[in-house]
Amino acid sequence: MYIQIKDLCFSYTNQGDKTINNFCLEIEQGEIISILGESGSGKSTVLRLLSGLETPTKGTISIGGKIVTDDRTFILPEKRGIGMVFQDYALFPHMTVAENIQFGLKGYSRSEKKKRIDEVLELVNMEKFKKRYPHELSGGQQQRIALARALAPEPSLLLLDEPFSNLDADLQIKIREELKQIIKKTGITSIFVTHDREDSRAIADRIITMRDGAAHEWESLCTVRNTSNTYDYEMEIMS
Amino acid sequence: MKFYRKLPGYMNMWTVLSMVIVLLILMPNLTILISFFTQTTDNWEHIKEHILPLLLKNTSIIIVVTGVLTILIGTSLAWLISAYDFPLKGFFKWGLILPLAIPPYIAAYTYNGILNYTGIIQTTLRNDYGIRVDQKYFDIMNIPGSIFIFTLFLFPYVYTITRAFLANQSSSLIENARLLGRNAFEIFFRVVLPISRGAIIGGASLVLLEVLNDYGVVKYFGVPTFSTAIFQTWFSMGDLNAAIKLSATLMFIVFAILIFEKVLRGRKKYSYTTAKVKPLTPIKLTGWKAWTVFFYSLLIFSLGFLIPFIQLLDWMFLTFEKIASPVFTQLIMNSLLVAFTGAFMIVIFAVIIANFTRMHKSWLSKSASRITILGYSIPGAVIAVGISSVFIDIDNLLFTFYESFGMEASLFLSTSLFMLISAYVIRFLAVGYNSIESGFDKVGNKFTEASRMLGMGMTKTFFKVDVRLIKGAIFSGFILAFIDILKELPLTLILRPFNFDTLSTKAFQYASDEQIHEASLASIIIIVISGIAIYLFHQVLEKEPK
Repeated sequence: MYIQIKDLCFSYTNQGDKTINNFCLEIEQGEIISILGESGSGKSTVLRLLSGLETPTKGTISIGGKIVTDDRTFILPEKRGIGMVFQDYALFPHMTVAENIQFGLKGYSRSEKKKRIDEVLELVNMEKFKKRYPHELSGGQQQRIALARALAPEPSLLLLDEPFSNLDADLQIKIREELKQIIKKTGITSIFVTHDREDSRAIADRIITMRDGAAHEWESLCTVRNTSNTYDYEMEIMS
Repeated sequence: MKFYRKLPGYMNMWTVLSMVIVLLILMPNLTILISFFTQTTDNWEHIKEHILPLLLKNTSIIIVVTGVLTILIGTSLAWLISAYDFPLKGFFKWGLILPLAIPPYIAAYTYNGILNYTGIIQTTLRNDYGIRVDQKYFDIMNIPGSIFIFTLFLFPYVYTITRAFLANQSSSLIENARLLGRNAFEIFFRVVLPISRGAIIGGASLVLLEVLNDYGVVKYFGVPTFSTAIFQTWFSMGDLNAAIKLSATLMFIVFAILIFEKVLRGRKKYSYTTAKVKPLTPIKLTGWKAWTVFFYSLLIFSLGFLIPFIQLLDWMFLTFEKIASPVFTQLIMNSLLVAFTGAFMIVIFAVIIANFTRMHKSWLSKSASRITILGYSIPGAVIAVGISSVFIDIDNLLFTFYESFGMEASLFLSTSLFMLISAYVIRFLAVGYNSIESGFDKVGNKFTEASRMLGMGMTKTFFKVDVRLIKGAIFSGFILAFIDILKELPLTLILRPFNFDTLSTKAFQYASDEQIHEASLASIIIIVISGIAIYLFHQVLEKEPK
């Protein structure tokens, strides 16, 4: 398995309920996974734990056979080689589109940087907007730039946090299709989090549903897989 | 939570530096608290028996009365300005903050100069009307006089915080009360006071901390309080130990006030809602009501700013030629030097700690943040005692080191500007920190996280992203700290190197030597710079989208 998450636990407060309780997930290379759940179900937290922006209290995460989090290891987010598209895009307001994309291109020569910027801008169909500042772009355009920026350093995994939540409904359907094509074109393993079942259906190869159980206790996916009806996680295989 | 799991996330320069800075801040304060419980001296026994009760009595009277008066004036003005329209309201809105630009010690000798035998009031009465007055009615150099000064020049703390609260938070409640047929007085006492309790108490506790910090007013008026007693035991009796014990006692009073504030405020913050709120729509006053409110505002503004300022201007024109000399230029340069260096270090330290505390939400970062703002509540005299005892210890430790360099002075650090600047940093770090922390709050963590996901470490992210986004907050933190240092008196007075004078120390010395007129130029410079800064901040705050 390309990505293995085992027995992941996390809580935001020291004493309070666990936001994530024994979460397990395995993902194959190139798979597009959607984590579906209502707000407060902990779905975004899974992304934050994967990316290293939060430290789990328990559990193991490995990516491409390399352990990034366990009892003894914690790889800092900047060393994980994971790309992330944030919910509100988080494009740096003081940099142009090109500068935003170039930001992640460490260790590239000047000509390589230029080439890569052009490549990803072409991929998201935004070549003409290189010199613009983020506030001069529409919501949909900003989202494409955020995607381009995340893809530019060629990450091993792409995370998308509610990628459509800031878009108008009709735009959402159009962008959804584009996003799927772009991701498929790059062949990158991706996880995206959403509360919209339609989004999940349209893009994902596989959907993981997260639910805030009444008991506030979630069975791990590993066990759920066999007895999926009775537990809080369900898994739908889309074919 | 398993700490070792979190450890790798903590292992960076920011954590280390923050911890070092926090320890440095803590050291002088801890020195004082610890030595409170160690050996006593004869002096201390004497002080405890004969002086301490008087200090406690004076301090409590001044604190309680000033507290009540500032609350009355500050809250009433805040309410009138937020709820009503009356002549010149737009001007009073920020004009009523201006008394803060006049440091209380300057106000103290200005008022004394106005009211004493040779002052403008008595000379006019004598020369033009032939009236000779009983001096006791014009003597403000006593406890009521100190309360008068503190009230007039510190009430804006209550006014600004309460007004900000009323303007943004209360519209629906107050408008509902109006619709329910309540009259203005009922609304004020039954709605406004209860709901703005948190803001009022927050402002009043700032006032009290300023009163405890004061040295200039009580020294000039000859009222024995903790600040003056600390100076006296230290310099006249030469008993640092007893001074430390007095400082510790004062620190306990400060802690009592801070705890009292917490308890009174309960879990209420200044704002009780985060939802979007619309500002209160003011009611237009007409006729005698409008003019009563206008004259009330005008009275407070005149007493708190206009009268002392005009008097100082008048004195300045009398003495300008005598005072404006190369020596005076040197004073300005000295003031700018310490204020600039101090504010610069404050901003750097504040940025380091604020960046650390926002990245890690844990008890460690919470306590770091608490300790950082602690210094602002500790009176200058206490910080001065604490920091000099630490520096003298360091000098003693380094004695052999100095000798090996063939240096004569054994007290090298404790007689240097370095000690003064460190004291400024401890006392005013909170000013820079609060500004920078709210800057970080406004920007949020998303850009930082985005940068780290793109492969930049914390430090590179800081320079390439964070600093660019909070430069406004850094700048305002710098200006606020700069002005506080410029006005500062007790720390500068005790800790400055021999023959090193700033605008504030020189003004105070002139006034203490009965050369009140000569003190005016330095005072005016301090007031004008503070006034401009207050005006600019008021403009910025008003324009800011809420």
